[in-house]
Amino acid sequence: MDKSEDKQFGRRNFMKAAIAGIGGLIGAALGLPAIPYIMGPALQKESDNWLQLGSVSKVELNIPTLFKKTIETQTGWINTEEEISVYVLTSNGQDYVVMSNVCTHLGCRVRWIPEKDGFFCPCHNGVFSKDGTVVAGPPPRPLDRFESKVEDGVIFIKRG
Amino acid sequence: MLIKIGDWLDERFSWREVWEAIFMRKVPHVNWFYTLGSATLFVAINQAVTGILLTLYYVPTPDHAYDSVVYITTQLPFGWLIRGLHHWGASAMVVLTVLHLLRVFYFGAYKYPREATWITGVILLLVVIGFGFTGYLLPWDQKSFWATTVGTQIAGLAPFVGDWILRIARGGRDISAVTLARFFGTHIWVLPATLAALIGIHLYLVIRIGITAVPKKDE
Repeated sequence: MDKSEDKQFGRRNFMKAAIAGIGGLIGAALGLPAIPYIMGPALQKESDNWLQLGSVSKVELNIPTLFKKTIETQTGWINTEEEISVYVLTSNGQDYVVMSNVCTHLGCRVRWIPEKDGFFCPCHNGVFSKDGTVVAGPPPRPLDRFESKVEDGVIFIKRG
Repeated sequence: MLIKIGDWLDERFSWREVWEAIFMRKVPHVNWFYTLGSATLFVAINQAVTGILLTLYYVPTPDHAYDSVVYITTQLPFGWLIRGLHHWGASAMVVLTVLHLLRVFYFGAYKYPREATWITGVILLLVVIGFGFTGYLLPWDQKSFWATTVGTQIAGLAPFVGDWILRIARGGRDISAVTLARFFGTHIWVLPATLAALIGIHLYLVIRIGITAVPKKDE
């Protein structure tokens, strides 16, 4: 009597463990691939090739100069052309600073206005000086800068 | 600790009673053919999970449907697996549903008092076939386009109402963006809602009435 009950109990527990084990295995086989599947596009590395902007000869001393560049990007299954704008500044004709035109506050595009000697953001009145430091308004940090290099009078940047 | 939480919840939900009603119910001594229903349910859950994951990337417009499917299959990590499971699961679903139906039929399990279970089951088979038919168009490749052309054309052959059915199915005279959109909507909203409701009734009846024993020789 006792023995048979023990046996029953053992079999029952074995089945429980087997169901939990196999079920867990199937669940993991289905569930785990879902994580990289969902996160995949978010983790995709953007190309970090040097991007040619153009000749530096049009950059005058101490005046931020606008460079526009159309780049082709693939987002998911769609190829899009995207125009990026950057400002190039030099104080000595040797060293160049390349600044993003994206306001560090909330991502609107800033514009250099020569008469007022500053970058102005239309969204929340952020103002940056010509080297990108914050002069007024809500931006928390100076304009972002790109890594850049000049070869044979042509300036390149690295998109990050 | 866990037991304490379980007790707390049980006091409010009586979940142990529900658990016992579902999983601890008495069943007659049966054979492996009786697992076909559970197998179908398992594949249905697989279809739901992988289907939801596919909608994260799939786009139901002629411009992007095919490209988004290619993107899922070739670019995304494990996209081939998710789509593969959904693709093959679809066939498995139809096969298992039919086998389950045949088991019930040959064992006479559709008889009193289980007629309602049988009827919901037959409607479920139609829903599963509807899933197959609407899902087949979604990759928007040559095979799916022409298969849907043929399939809707066949519906168009019905006497008197044929042309009307064909136009409703296609959302116009031809297979177009409208067709793709409505097949998608049917595939991911209308049919799943119907399926869930019917499975609920079907399972309630199975648990409420209990399953049949294997028929004896003289029955």
